[in-house]
Amino acid sequence: MPMEVLRLGIVAMSRPPVTQWSGRILRPVSATMDLLPLEAGALMADRDGVQTVYLGDHALVLHSGETRHYIDNLMARQPSIWVAMTGADVALVTADPYEGEALASDPERVVEAVPMPDTLATSLDAFIGAHHVEEVFHKRKRVPATSADDPRAPRILQPDDKWVQSRGRSARGPRGTG
Amino acid sequence: MSGSSKGKTELDNDEQRAQHWAFLASVLAAPPSDGMLSAIVDLSGGSETALGQAYARLAGAAKHARGTDTKTVEREFFELFIGVGRGELLPYASFYLTGFLNERPLADLRRDLALMGIERAEDRHEPEDHIASLSEIMAGLASGAFSADALGCGAAGEAGFFARHLQPWAPQFFDDLAVAPSADFYRHVAEIGSLFMDIEIRAFELARKQEGRAPAAVAH
Repeated sequence: MPMEVLRLGIVAMSRPPVTQWSGRILRPVSATMDLLPLEAGALMADRDGVQTVYLGDHALVLHSGETRHYIDNLMARQPSIWVAMTGADVALVTADPYEGEALASDPERVVEAVPMPDTLATSLDAFIGAHHVEEVFHKRKRVPATSADDPRAPRILQPDDKWVQSRGRSARGPRGTG
Repeated sequence: MSGSSKGKTELDNDEQRAQHWAFLASVLAAPPSDGMLSAIVDLSGGSETALGQAYARLAGAAKHARGTDTKTVEREFFELFIGVGRGELLPYASFYLTGFLNERPLADLRRDLALMGIERAEDRHEPEDHIASLSEIMAGLASGAFSADALGCGAAGEAGFFARHLQPWAPQFFDDLAVAPSADFYRHVAEIGSLFMDIEIRAFELARKQEGRAPAAVAH
């Protein structure tokens, strides 16, 4: 499966707690394609207790099988990058909205959708153009059992009946669609 | 190994048969290793019989396979017996006799094996009705390592075991192996197998006639 790895710098922000019983929570606020010459965890600004922290650069992996999800992401009003954090560490950076939202189901994690940089949107678009294969939804139907559909497996499996890849660029499509 | 010992040192009939069965068991249980392939190359038919010529052709195929790519035979074995989902062939007695795996023929075989005091080795995971394990059992019966005298219903002895568990389907299996789309090296194994099955069937029949016994029960 072709894939592409991009590096994204992640910037997070933490506000002073509203009550004395809660601590500071670091939340990702932006992602940048221009990697800053800073170490991970470096304090970028501290204004009235609002701290801006650079979390270092992280890999954003684009998978050719997920292009449909990236299209959905780009078609949204605000295309986003999902950044998941466990504690003060970045666990995952993804451009797949469904993967990002699935990560958000864990209350231990801080997951934020940060605006996608325009340059990243351009390269994501190029990636989609190179790898996207449109898949038509094929509704399978129950076929009545007849004597032609022998439940017994063939004694000798013919090459046409072997397993074939049904997704992606080299796919033959679902069986029965011709 | 059958061929290297053939000719020079005279083995008696049953020991030679045991060697044939053991050879079939080893090539059908797993793809032949490099050492095994080299040993097969050294096989010579040594005679003008059909079986001898089949062994010579297998030696030629092994030589060709070793000369090109050592993984060729391994890939062929994968396509034939393992595959994605399933291999081209399902070499199980139960499948050939009923159309499904793990059916009554396997249960019958397990009962008979329990009577004979044979059980599957712990690291083997194939059901006992695999052609390779049946061949291994036949090798043991031919060499005298195993005994099938305890079997009932007219299936006592080696001939009875063969008639009950191999004769109904093994010739058909070797015919299928000969025409399977991926078979190349194994086409020659199939040839040896079906010739040998034919010889065994006729030999057991002959022995039965000479002894003048009642016909062995084929199935029940």
